[in-house]
Amino acid sequence: MPLKWVFHWQPNAGTTVNSQMLTEVSQCAESINGVKEGRWKATLTFYKPMFRDQAVPAEYPRDFLGISLPEQPNRYYFIIRSQKIVLEADSSIQMIMEKLQSYKSRVSLTFEGFQYQLGDFQLRVGKVAPSASENLRGIVLEVEYLPLSSMEKSRQILDGFVEIWQEAMSKRSLPGHFMHIEPNFAEFGLSDHYTSQHTAVQYATVMAQLISAVQTAQAKVAWWE
Amino acid sequence: MQQQQTQAARNPTSAESTAEAPPKQVALAMDRLAQAARLIADVRLGADRLLEALFVSAQPHQTTKPLHLFLKEDSSMRQHLQDLRTIGILALKAFTDQKRRFFPHLDDGLNGQSSASESVPKKHCGSQISTVTQQEELSDYRTLSDLLMHVEKDMPNMKIFTYQRLDWLKRASTLPCSAEEFLMDSSKEHDFHISNKPRLGLLGAVAADKVAVIELLFPSIFRAIISLHPAGSIDPDAVAFFSPDEGGSYVHARGFSVYHVFKHVTEHAAMALQYFLGTNTETALYSLLHWIFSYQTLFTEPCSKCKRLLSMDRQSDLLLPPVHRPYRSFCAIKSSSPQSISSTKNQTLDASHAYHVGCFSEEA
Repeated sequence: MPLKWVFHWQPNAGTTVNSQMLTEVSQCAESINGVKEGRWKATLTFYKPMFRDQAVPAEYPRDFLGISLPEQPNRYYFIIRSQKIVLEADSSIQMIMEKLQSYKSRVSLTFEGFQYQLGDFQLRVGKVAPSASENLRGIVLEVEYLPLSSMEKSRQILDGFVEIWQEAMSKRSLPGHFMHIEPNFAEFGLSDHYTSQHTAVQYATVMAQLISAVQTAQAKVAWWE
Repeated sequence: MQQQQTQAARNPTSAESTAEAPPKQVALAMDRLAQAARLIADVRLGADRLLEALFVSAQPHQTTKPLHLFLKEDSSMRQHLQDLRTIGILALKAFTDQKRRFFPHLDDGLNGQSSASESVPKKHCGSQISTVTQQEELSDYRTLSDLLMHVEKDMPNMKIFTYQRLDWLKRASTLPCSAEEFLMDSSKEHDFHISNKPRLGLLGAVAADKVAVIELLFPSIFRAIISLHPAGSIDPDAVAFFSPDEGGSYVHARGFSVYHVFKHVTEHAAMALQYFLGTNTETALYSLLHWIFSYQTLFTEPCSKCKRLLSMDRQSDLLLPPVHRPYRSFCAIKSSSPQSISSTKNQTLDASHAYHVGCFSEEA
């Protein structure tokens, strides 16, 4: 399937993200001839284990994530980043988990926004917010190059796009920039040929970045609300 | 239709009487030829469908479905051929007249006549001597098997497969599959009623006189399809580029990719093919194959003019890599002839250069 890079908004020190920035980013997409196409939405859920007996908590992963992606409505993705595990399951797994009661959803986040078509590129601009509230906690950007599936062969094209995007963004003087951190896909057992599992791993990485950007523990708690 | 025909009949005479051809006449002539080309493609596809109907009827336990298919295709083929006859005669006359006036270098033996609209003269590969040397070398490759075997050595990383026309249509419908899957699948080959196995390897697998489609695959970069006409010859008549992940019955030498980048490359390739055929039909396929090979850098080579990889094309408002590779001075020469190489060093355009759409037209 076509490859994509997922970016997250890195605000400058001392600034926070706001909805005005989201509007500016959307306008930037339109300024490079992006055609608005429709909405998109992904969800990410943190799971915590439900202990029935005095099991050793250390055995259970603390970073167990579940992700649903709009391009795969019948699939659900699990990631345990610390152990470099990614798993694709049928979307009915969520119902099974509910019944089993082995893991419960601790907190859920939504990534949603608009999709833009730019020729052979597809852009998704989205806000990050807890599912229960509308409080903007971050901005994500997906850049997909439709003709290719190989990450190695498309690297320079995506780099070229980033250059053009940064040029367009710099005209808006926003206090921050988009960052892309490429996970080591090989560690997750993924190949050069792009799949939705790669996307799931990128979102898990983005999540880790967004959380680590929040400085204090108190602020971290507030972040989820 | 009637009205257009009479107008086309009038147009050639009025064009001849003026000093320059008004663009409208040329556009009309081009339009007629395009219609003719489309009808020819329809006839080809119709022929494939007829073959398919015959193939299906060879299967056991068939209904009258293949017969209906056959009759339907037969009548539509006859209509296409009739339309072609009507359009073709007028279009060809009008176009030939204009071509003789404005593209004299495309006619053999009519060099030296320049005109305002055609500013790029035919560039020879280095000196006259090295051109002759090149032709002598290439005359060794008069058969398709010789040509492809030689080319395969020159072009590592590019996989070449040959097919009969109907077999390619079958293959196109089973795409996409990754190159690895394809190579693994070849061991569990389908049991075709026709005994040819059209997949792996070169002409050892397909009877050389039946090869009508050449597939050039650069895994993860592109797939190019060349049509040969007549089958078994070394005369290409169409070429198209596609994403390596594309599949479907539209993936053939006259089809168009759904992706803009490959659509643009295909359009450019059609012009390159016409140029190679116009220059020397015997070496056209050889040149075309090497020219296609230069596209392995489609997603990595920056534009030789603006030095960027991606650029916003002003005409289409699309972000595209450099989709143009020069073909006018393209020299598909063997690396073992140093004399030819040193004399081409003075050329400003060569095969390793790439240009964006906008950058290329300015350069030329």
